[in-house]
Amino acid sequence: MHKTHIPVFDIVVIGSGPAGATTARIAAQKGLKVLLVDKRQELGAPIQCSGAVSRHALEELGITPSEEFIHEDIYGFSIYNQQGDKTEIDYQRIKPDEYGKGEGKKPLGYVVDRRRFDRYLMAQAERAGTEVWLKTEGLGYQPLEDGTCEVHLRRFNQEITVKSKVLVGADGLQSQVGKWAGLRTHIKLSELASCLQFIVDKVETDGLLEIVTGHQWAPGGYAWVFPKGHGYAEIGLGVIRTMTDQNAQWYLDQFIQKSFFKERFKDCRILEIQGGGVPLAHPLKKQYADNLILVGDAARHVNPITGGGIHTALSGGRIAGTFLSSFLKNGKKPTAKNLKGYQDQWLEELGNKMWKLYDEKTNIFRTKDIARQDEQLYNTMSSYFSPDSEYKKI
Amino acid sequence: MQKREPVIFQIGWNACINCGACVAVCPQGAGFISAFDTIAVNRPCDIACMMCEDICPVTTISHQHLSELNGKKEVIEWLQAQHTK
Repeated sequence: MHKTHIPVFDIVVIGSGPAGATTARIAAQKGLKVLLVDKRQELGAPIQCSGAVSRHALEELGITPSEEFIHEDIYGFSIYNQQGDKTEIDYQRIKPDEYGKGEGKKPLGYVVDRRRFDRYLMAQAERAGTEVWLKTEGLGYQPLEDGTCEVHLRRFNQEITVKSKVLVGADGLQSQVGKWAGLRTHIKLSELASCLQFIVDKVETDGLLEIVTGHQWAPGGYAWVFPKGHGYAEIGLGVIRTMTDQNAQWYLDQFIQKSFFKERFKDCRILEIQGGGVPLAHPLKKQYADNLILVGDAARHVNPITGGGIHTALSGGRIAGTFLSSFLKNGKKPTAKNLKGYQDQWLEELGNKMWKLYDEKTNIFRTKDIARQDEQLYNTMSSYFSPDSEYKKI
Repeated sequence: MQKREPVIFQIGWNACINCGACVAVCPQGAGFISAFDTIAVNRPCDIACMMCEDICPVTTISHQHLSELNGKKEVIEWLQAQHTK
């Protein structure tokens, strides 16, 4: 392509997950010229996520809960210790006027279908004026003398260079964009949970997210049973491999066959198998460079206690999109120094709390005595999901 | 860190669930990723930290030491040619 035909954008977003699509949508709504690219042919796949998200998270972003992407409504939590004792936090009981299935009442959250959800978010970004290119991978970027940058892409085998003021890396945990800028994106084995989940038939659920703690079932992480709609459930877990010699698959088999749920699981039939690495880590210390910011998993915007990343991705995308629109409208140069403002804003709204959660998590797993560690994790999880938790919004 | 002997990874595609955890944990970064969101299989890995093998939820990554290729010079040269492509 000749240099004279180089397409020019205000921002180019690489990766159309919840964080990237939200950054793109908000920026486009606020009048920026936005290009959103993703290398995949089908967004959200392969699924590496359990799909739980609070209603609050969607409302905050103006996303109307829709059958298009919701598998099931959620009304609360059940937190189990290793032996099977539980703390039930059912908002239908705690706040019966607000939460429930009846008229005028609402769910607390949802389990979403990530394929449909990610596609929906991309569609919203496109309707807001974003240009979207699928089957387009990022190859590299180059800051230019004039204060903009070139972004090199490959779209259906064709190499294309575009110009942009800012490049947004929303390309997930395996982020390449951060590496192009030399940001320290590497994660320790001890802070990446190895996760596996089965979508199953013939396991009853009751509108609650069930979380099972205990070193025996999931060392360094936890196991879960989530409702998945259509009478299906999701059984999964994440383990920290530096804490055990066995892999996630071994633990999931143990959990299904030997835990206090074995009777409940005895007829379960596996319909789908999914897995992923979930960071139980602190956010990246530096999420910006010249002409570049990171958002979502790429910046490690993931809750280090729960491993939840949809809410934090949506909020991060909102913060990034809002910041970039006012930043560029004010004609500021997108140098690393100036883009630090994005991270400062993010820390203030969300990040500082995530750092605090990280410290809590670190303290729990620093405890050498396993029984004590289990007790701490159980208590922390139980209070985390309670109505008076200070972390309710992340 | 002790210098380890370079290895070549293999991925048992039959069990691979395309979860990308091996890529996420790989300290070699961009130079060591296949088109399928797994670590690359046909290039010698010099640091041999084995974190990709550890993180794999289904333990479907294995390796051979370069020396185990029995000094098959042509194999190593072929691999290195892939590496520099």
